[in-house]
Formats: sequence, C-alpha cells, structure tokens
Amino acid sequence: MTASILDGIVLGLQFGVLAAGLTLVYGLGGVLNLAYGQIAVVSGLVTLLTMEAGVPAVPAALIGLVAGGALGLIFDLTILQPVYRRHGEARVLLSLLLTLGAAFVIDGYLNWRYPLRGLNLRITGDPLVVFGVRMRMGSVVASGITIVVIGVLYWLFRYTRLGRAIRSVIQDEEGSRLVGIDPQLMMRLILVLSGVLAAIVAITRSMVAPVNVRAGFSLTVLGLIVTVVGGLGSIPGAFLAGLVLGIINSVASSYIGTFLSLIILLVAAAITIVIRPTGLLGVRE
Amino acid sequence: MALLELHEVGKAYGGLPAVDGVSLGTGGGEILALVGPNGAGKSTLLKLVVGLERPNRGRVILDGHDITGRPPHLVRRMGVAMVQQTPRSFPTMTVRENVALGALFGRDTPPDTDEALEIADEALAFVGLDDRRHDTVGALNLHQLRFLELARAIAGSPRLLLLDEVMAGLNDAELETSIDIVRAIRDRHDITVVWVEHVMKAVMGLAERVVVLDFGRILAEGSPDQVMRDPAVVEAYLGKEDLGA
Ligand SMILES: Nc1ncnc2c1ncn2[C@@H]1O[C@H](COP(=O)(O)OP(=O)(O)OP(=O)(O)O)[C@@H](O)[C@H]1O
Ligand SMILES: [Mg+2]
Repeated sequence: MTASILDGIVLGLQFGVLAAGLTLVYGLGGVLNLAYGQIAVVSGLVTLLTMEAGVPAVPAALIGLVAGGALGLIFDLTILQPVYRRHGEARVLLSLLLTLGAAFVIDGYLNWRYPLRGLNLRITGDPLVVFGVRMRMGSVVASGITIVVIGVLYWLFRYTRLGRAIRSVIQDEEGSRLVGIDPQLMMRLILVLSGVLAAIVAITRSMVAPVNVRAGFSLTVLGLIVTVVGGLGSIPGAFLAGLVLGIINSVASSYIGTFLSLIILLVAAAITIVIRPTGLLGVRE
Repeated sequence: MALLELHEVGKAYGGLPAVDGVSLGTGGGEILALVGPNGAGKSTLLKLVVGLERPNRGRVILDGHDITGRPPHLVRRMGVAMVQQTPRSFPTMTVRENVALGALFGRDTPPDTDEALEIADEALAFVGLDDRRHDTVGALNLHQLRFLELARAIAGSPRLLLLDEVMAGLNDAELETSIDIVRAIRDRHDITVVWVEHVMKAVMGLAERVVVLDFGRILAEGSPDQVMRDPAVVEAYLGKEDLGA
C-alpha cells in the first residue's frame, strides 16, 4: 500500500504539471488546447533525435524544452490568432476545433514519419529507500525535477512582476488592461510556458516509462481530467487534483488492474464534478 | 497645448451612433464633468480615450501625440488612468496588492516591488483606506471599492484621470468625502480630471466646467451654473432624470 501511494504521489506530481500547462492557458485566455499532448510528444521526440545525433541527455532534454516552448509560441502566432478575435463560448469552441485539427495533423505526421518511436530516458543507479519502500532511481529523479518545477512555478506566480501580471489577467482581463498590462503578451508567454511544461512532463515521464509518439491524445485527455477536477483555471487546483488522481490511479492499478485505471479516473472526476461543479479549487463565475 | 484633444470622435454600434462627432479639449488640472441622460454616450466616450473601444472616426490626441485606437495598456503608460463604472479589482489579492499593480504596470518607468508597495500605501492613505490594506477586496463595500480603484489609478501617477460615475449610490457623507478626495488628487498631483456623473449635487460642487452629452453629441458646455440654466439641457433631462440638486 505504501508503495503504491508513493508511486501515486510521483505520478500525481506529473499529473499536476501536465494539468497546470492546460489550465493556465484556459484561465488566461479561455483557450482549451487539445494539441497539448502532441506538444509533449514532439518535445520528447526532439530530445530523442538530438540524443541520437550524439548530444548528451541533459543538453538534449534542454533542447526538448526549447522545442516545447517554440511550439507553444507557434500556436500563439498562428492558429490561435483567429481564436483571440472571438469572445466567450465562441472562443472556447473555436480553440477546441482548431487545436484538435492541429493535433490530428501532428499525430498523423508522427505516425507516418516516426512510427513506433519513443523516448526512454533510462536513469541508472541503485534504488533509493523512501519510507521503507524501494524507489527506482528514475522515479526519484523525475519527482525531484517535478518538485523543483512546482517550486519555480509557485515563486513565479507568487512573487514576480510577471506572475502578478498573469494573475491579474486571469482574474479580470479588462481590469488588467486598465492598470497597464498587455493581456496579449501575457497569453503569448503563457503558451510558451505551457509548451515547456508539456515538454517537462514528456521528459520526466520517460524516466519512469517510455513515452511513445502515439501518447499525444492520452496525455491531453489525462490533462483535461485533472484540470476539470482541479477547477478550470486554478493552478493550485491542478496540483491538488493531480495528487489525488495520481494516488487513486496508482492504488487502483495495483489492486484492480492497469486496464481499468483510466475508467476509474473518469469516475473519480465525474463524482467530483457532481459534488463540486467548479472542481476542487475552481472559482465560481 | 491642451493635454487631451478630441477631434470629431465617433463610435457606432451596429450602425447606431453611441458617440457622434464629439470635439473637446481639456488640460491644465481642470475638473471637467461630463453629464447627460442614460445612453448619451458618456461611458463610450471615455472608453474611446483609453482605447477600450476603437473610434470609427475622428482623432484622439494626448499631449500632441495621436493615440487614436492605441491599446489600453499603452495609453495607461502614457499617463491616462480610468476608473470604470463597475469596479474592476482583482478579487483574490489584497487591497494593497491591487493598488501596487497600478504602480508596477501603469508607469512609464516601473518601480520595483518594494517601491510599488510603498507607493500603494501612500495612495491608500490618500483615499483613507490605509487601515484596510491587508484585507482582500471581497471585504470592501461598493464605496470602498471605488476608493480602492481611485488609489490604484493614482498609484500609476497619471496626468489625466477619467472617472465613470464613481459617486453613484453614495450617501451624503460619503459623497462629501469623495468630492474632497477628487479635489485633493487634482490639487496635489495637478491631474486633469474628466469625470462622468449623474449626481448633480456633486457636479455643482466639484466641476469647473461641464459638458452635456445627448445622443452622442455635445448639447451644451460651460460653467455648472450656466449649463444647468440652459433651456436645451433642461429639455434633454426633462422626464428622464431629476436634476437632483
Ligand atoms: N458594447 C456595446 N454594444 C452595443 N451598444 C453599445 C455598447 N456600449 C454602449 N452601447 C450603446 O451606446 C449608447 C451609449 O452608451 P453609454 O454606455 O456610452 O452611455 P452612458 O451615457 O454612459 O449611459 P449611462 O448613464 O447609462 O451609463 C447606448 O445606447 C448603449 O446602448
Ligand atoms: Mg455610462
């Protein structure tokens, strides 16, 4: 039991980062990015190809992060431009359609050009004993990176000028414009950040299990479930929901079976939404 | 040169003009009241100045620079602050953090966070909200919210302050305080104030010049006494508004 809870925490932290990238973009600009998982996969693939070209793992992973950020930027500059000109529900719907289209295009290309490829960052080293449980070195490193990322995000949003600007746009876009903040610029930066977070998920995930090029949609779906449970637009919510669902997933996998884990996550999500329509930490409109 | 000049500014929504060719100038620390019946186009006119709406025609000139259609954050950094009709504060931040945002982002040369917090404290003391600075915004009433927004506006050290009905719904005592605060803001910082108001008592007590809008056009202009005796103004208000005073 302790082992699967610990595994669940490792997974949950990654769920949280995954969902944070989605929920930020939604909270800031009312945009749901259904190609989010593909951004993660492409970043993983870039890391893989860079390593195959002879670059060591750490710089290759950094190049993967840059690729994720660049993809986010490209989305902002291209398919999201018509989305920004719509407001409210029309904006959400158009963003769903266009990013879904982009997801299919990326998926199709990857399956044609790089079928069966996958990033697998094996990290060697003796297992570490945590709370009497042996943890593989890969899990330990992945969790360490993820915890650092969470800390950096917290610092960014809580204490920096940029973080204040972003929070104010999330809370009241028109109000933020009146204090002198440019919401468009904030949206662009957040898409870059979101791409980097997607890349971090792909890279840390691949330290625990291979991330193959077909994983795009399941990553997006997983991210959406966590986002909805946490409350759309809430970053603390994303991390709380990530932990809860990560633990549920891992406990359910070891006692019931992996094949049912997505169903169990969906049920947990549905129950949360029935009890709390705004998600765990969502704000009521 | 006037600080703000509007030249034949117009804005229509779906073919219906909300602002229909308005020309006016202000500056030099004047307190200019913009009055007129509901739907006259007062709020729209302010939004055209700060860039929340883009005019269909005409030009907006600030200090000699054409700022027509410029986005609000740039207009803000050029020294124009606005307090909207409905409060626009950030609910999960404290009063102090809200006001600090005005200093952090509204100025041409931004201060660091500590300076911004100091500026915020000063601005809050100025509007009499310093004892509420660690509260969240949700704890404030409407009257205090408006003062909060006033403080946030002056924290960005504007040259031009646009106020949209910030005195609506206040009781007599609150009205007196508000009038004093707006006058003090002008006196201390030499800020030009363009102020939309329905409360005639406040207009008569505070405005130095009054512009009356009706159907998006300027109907009359002059000192408060002059304007309120103008038969066209009385006509425009008749049956629509009580003159209050
Ligand atoms: N976004 C909009 N879309 C369509 N019509 C609008 C919009 N904003 C304002 N209008 C219309 O423009 C006209 C002027 O509106 P405005 O809000 O400027 O009036 P106002 O003088 O501020 O009125 P009030 O005293 O009620 O605040 C009104 O007829 C209003 O219905
Ligand atoms: Mg109005």
